[in-house]
Amino acid sequence: MNVNLAKGINAFKEVIDAPIASFFSSCVHCGLCAESCLFYTETGDPKYTPIHKLEPLRRVWKQEYTLLGKLEKMLGLSKPVTDAELEEWKPLVYNSCTLCSRCAMVCPVGNDMTYMIRKMREGMAASGHAPTDLIGASTRSVEIGSPMGIRLPALKAQMKHVQGDTGIEIPLDVVGAEYLVLMSSMEIINFPEYLAAVAKIMKQAGKTWTLCSDAFEATNSGIQIGVSDIAKILVQRIVDGAEKLKVKTVISPECGHAYTALRWEGPNLVGRPYTFEVLHILEVLDGFRTAGLLKTTGFEDALLTFHDPCQLVRRGGVLEQPRNLLKMVAKNFVDTTDHGQMNWCCGGGGGVSAIEEAEPLRLQAFKVKKSQLEETGAKTLVTACANCRIVLEEGLEHYHMNIPVVGLTEMIADHLTEGE
Amino acid sequence: MAIDNDSDFKAALNNLSRAGQRLVAARFAENVQVLSNDVRVKNAINAAKRADITEDELAAASQAAKKASVDSFTQCGKECDWNSQAGHFVAQAAVASLKPAEPGDSPAWNAAMHARMARTSENIAAGRGTDNAENAAQYRILAEFLNV
Repeated sequence: MNVNLAKGINAFKEVIDAPIASFFSSCVHCGLCAESCLFYTETGDPKYTPIHKLEPLRRVWKQEYTLLGKLEKMLGLSKPVTDAELEEWKPLVYNSCTLCSRCAMVCPVGNDMTYMIRKMREGMAASGHAPTDLIGASTRSVEIGSPMGIRLPALKAQMKHVQGDTGIEIPLDVVGAEYLVLMSSMEIINFPEYLAAVAKIMKQAGKTWTLCSDAFEATNSGIQIGVSDIAKILVQRIVDGAEKLKVKTVISPECGHAYTALRWEGPNLVGRPYTFEVLHILEVLDGFRTAGLLKTTGFEDALLTFHDPCQLVRRGGVLEQPRNLLKMVAKNFVDTTDHGQMNWCCGGGGGVSAIEEAEPLRLQAFKVKKSQLEETGAKTLVTACANCRIVLEEGLEHYHMNIPVVGLTEMIADHLTEGE
Repeated sequence: MAIDNDSDFKAALNNLSRAGQRLVAARFAENVQVLSNDVRVKNAINAAKRADITEDELAAASQAAKKASVDSFTQCGKECDWNSQAGHFVAQAAVASLKPAEPGDSPAWNAAMHARMARTSENIAAGRGTDNAENAAQYRILAEFLNV
């Protein structure tokens, strides 16, 4: 066994905890998870069945932690996991799993396949079977502070641009501000309108807020690639920034996995509770709405629908907030057939959109989203995740569907009452 | 009236007719066109500049510019090439200039903002800091347009 494979197998053994052991032993092989996975439904290929993607991890569990498996291993009746096998599984574990958790919603015994895939990625990364693109993103996250290589001067340039656009000063490193606003690199690079929207909304709400020069990036490549040590470093950076600035609340941006990484997994990663609260931007906006701090005028004319980002709705519990907010600006709204907790993924989550070789499969899987949207007849698609936004734009363009995609925060900001 | 600030600039743009907004927006995009090497963007800007363009031609040019814009997004997790990103914002400026009229929309202002982001991206790529003269160039372009 080569050194890397040994590291990978050891990582598999280490990540097999009580939940994983119970999930494997509970699986009744019903195949329901297949029908919930867009990579299976849109290709018909059984290799994309979620539980099948975990086969190498299942074998290690059986061989190492069950009596029957140990006996089979001793007698040479079960084959060991090999390097070639892990390489074969790489596209199944990374390219064709967006960590969307739709499979976990339908599993009759409650297996959380996303949790298992995440753990399996730990072993894949340790054994040298992580995609090059994700390795690059993780390396840049640790070394530069952003998976896309964004440095502070680039953020400052965007801040200056937004100041020009809105006439509102963008605060940086303000000690004692109520809110620390995080961004995703995607928003810094592609969607400056997000920061502009936040600035306008905060001004209207009369809230103090700040960006942090040491911790402006929300995304967590460690979660996507499956390296907890990296995930911990990236969360710790935000914790340090928030505590240095003594903020009460950290706002996760319109990014799906950044929210679950920081809010739900962060304290376990850094090994202690936070001294601040973490909220998604939509939770903050809905709180402002409830408190009467969000005043809008007018309504969108076009028929709108909303794409629930998986990490928000299934792993984050942010379900009603976007709809409450949409009611403020849209009378003409329609939900897709499978919406909310059963919404179909855009196809690009969990690091998939960063993996170049995954693109053809991703576009094939997008057919389910295409059908969903066609059914509604919606003329505008609203979402709350910058990655979903780009993946949706690409899919719509690929299938020649002329539907603009808009961020919800930006849409709310466009309707703010003038002069407030 | 000399335009030397964004407040007057925005007000003047919003006073223009939809066609006027398109024509001046195309000029904003044209001023940064050198930052894009996508022929679809160039053609779209040229189309937006035409006063006699038909609705069908506008729709076709808009579609081509949109495709160029989507093709040039920096994907999540990919290392950003700010020069390419400048090209993306030029495409976005072209898309804005060709956007169908909608009440309350400011296509010319949006095109101006995208053009500024294109120049900002160029400056980031070159390590030149955050100052750029695109605002002043746009004030001049609008003044010339209004005086024609």
